[in-house]
Amino acid sequence: MTDAQAQTDGMVIASDAGKPLAERHFLEVRFGGSGGQGVILMGVILAVAATRDHRYVVQTQSYGPEARGGYSRSDVIIARNPVDYPQLTGIDLLVALSAEAAQKYTGFVRSHGVFIFDSGVLATPPRITADTYGVPFAKLALEATGRAQTANILTLGAVVGLTGIISPDSLEKAVLSMVPKGTEEMNQAAMRRGLELDGEEWRVR
Amino acid sequence: MELWHSHILRETIDQDSLLVQGNRACALGALDSGVRFFAGYPITPSSEIMETMARELPLVGGVFLQMEDEIASICACIGASLTGEVAMTATSGPGFSLMQEAIGYAAVAEAPLVVVDVMRMGPSTGRPTTPSQGDVMQARWGTHGDHPAIVLAASNVADMYRLTMAAVRFAQRFRTPVTLLADEVVGHMRESFAPELVGRYRLTSGDFDFTEGYLRPDMVREVHPPHTLGRKGHPHVTGLIHDDTGFPTNDPKKSEQFLLQLHDKVVHHRDELCLYDVKNEGKGRVCIVAYGSCARSARAALKLAKEEGLPVEVLHLYTLFPLPVEIIQAVARRCEFILIPELNLGQYAREVRKMAENWTTVISMGKIDGTLITPREILDRLEELIGKYESI
Repeated sequence: MTDAQAQTDGMVIASDAGKPLAERHFLEVRFGGSGGQGVILMGVILAVAATRDHRYVVQTQSYGPEARGGYSRSDVIIARNPVDYPQLTGIDLLVALSAEAAQKYTGFVRSHGVFIFDSGVLATPPRITADTYGVPFAKLALEATGRAQTANILTLGAVVGLTGIISPDSLEKAVLSMVPKGTEEMNQAAMRRGLELDGEEWRVR
Repeated sequence: MELWHSHILRETIDQDSLLVQGNRACALGALDSGVRFFAGYPITPSSEIMETMARELPLVGGVFLQMEDEIASICACIGASLTGEVAMTATSGPGFSLMQEAIGYAAVAEAPLVVVDVMRMGPSTGRPTTPSQGDVMQARWGTHGDHPAIVLAASNVADMYRLTMAAVRFAQRFRTPVTLLADEVVGHMRESFAPELVGRYRLTSGDFDFTEGYLRPDMVREVHPPHTLGRKGHPHVTGLIHDDTGFPTNDPKKSEQFLLQLHDKVVHHRDELCLYDVKNEGKGRVCIVAYGSCARSARAALKLAKEEGLPVEVLHLYTLFPLPVEIIQAVARRCEFILIPELNLGQYAREVRKMAENWTTVISMGKIDGTLITPREILDRLEELIGKYESI
């Protein structure tokens, strides 16, 4: 996606304009972070959960050739009709777990979009005309489960709690079916902690 | 239809979600269409096909081999095929290059075989995690000599399933190697898909038949009687030009007849082999011809074009070779120009131009930066071009 393409809003459905994310017919979601944070898994879990909600879903990813470190991103299109073009033409919901991802992708977020970032890695987020939430996900995960690695699942819970784009029930089923065996309870706790976050408390602008 | 579903694989696919990765759908299609032998060597972005086959094949009584390289992989598949097994291998550009000589051998030995090439950016090692359609002409002419080629192109997860099944069927019925092309985006993406719903994805060209005799189709009449190893008699298989006995011949007449039959068995059955889908048929002044992931961009561009009142039709090709001459010429007769978006420097546009240039102008829209062509880019190009080419 280049700057020029970000402005086209090619696939946006006119009737979606200005509506809350949960009511839209076509939604483009990006998770950005660095390799090892579980960013691609977040996209896959959201995609599984959204198909459980009977949506048409396409999930793609982009990553560097290295196994760890480097950039990593996971894109999900959630739609009420079959999806043709499989990649994003703009971003309605951006979730950034690294400062680099926030810097790199905020320019593509559409107006009336939502931007959620980890305030533990990014003190002052780029100013954009989207609802912006800053939550110290890694810190909250450590408090809730004792493991910072559950931050990605906690973040997913927060994404669903703050935006309502899919049902919490579908998210829970998807999380339980996708996380490694033996970690279900811990991840469930992380997800629930994320779900119960109060939007007003964490809203930046 | 009774499919030989692998239940373990089915269980790992969330039944309520049916979110399936392209490469997994390919493996699932292979298992469902009776593939019981897979030899391969892992390579991004095709490795998940091999991973899935490694786990699943032993559970259904099949054989999986990881070989030392791609040459050994395809040769093992040819060997298995000659004993009557349904064999498949999967790779990407660099491995596909290594396989070329053996593909020619399989064509001459008439060994049924499916080769899946999940294309990545080339040449050489290129960019392993980015999509490309740079192997199209390699799939047609990568091995030497005048040989037949059946080449299919998948554009989504459902295609990865059903075109793998089509490839298996075509390989068995025409006794020849069949190449299924996909690209990094199609192979790695996850999408809502249920194998049970495959009948919903019909093609305007008349789908291949999933029911009667699907798993063991009759051979077309041009195929030479197969020499199956391990059965009675003294079979003889060779890459040399041979006659019906299987033994080499230097007779000019027999040589010509042999090569013509190889050629004819594919080209004379275009009506069966050429799978395609026309959107907005007969309503466009211009036509976008596309395959693989670019066809998805083209379909999205069609929706934008309708909103903006541009008269466009889309010809989505699932079979690239044998060349779908009839449908391309039908489109060429009624359209001002044909636009061909593809992730290479116009490889397939040249093929279409050969068929269509008597009637219309063929314009190539190639892109080689490792990103997909967006619907907006296609529409912008159409807007530039429309009205510049009068109907002849």
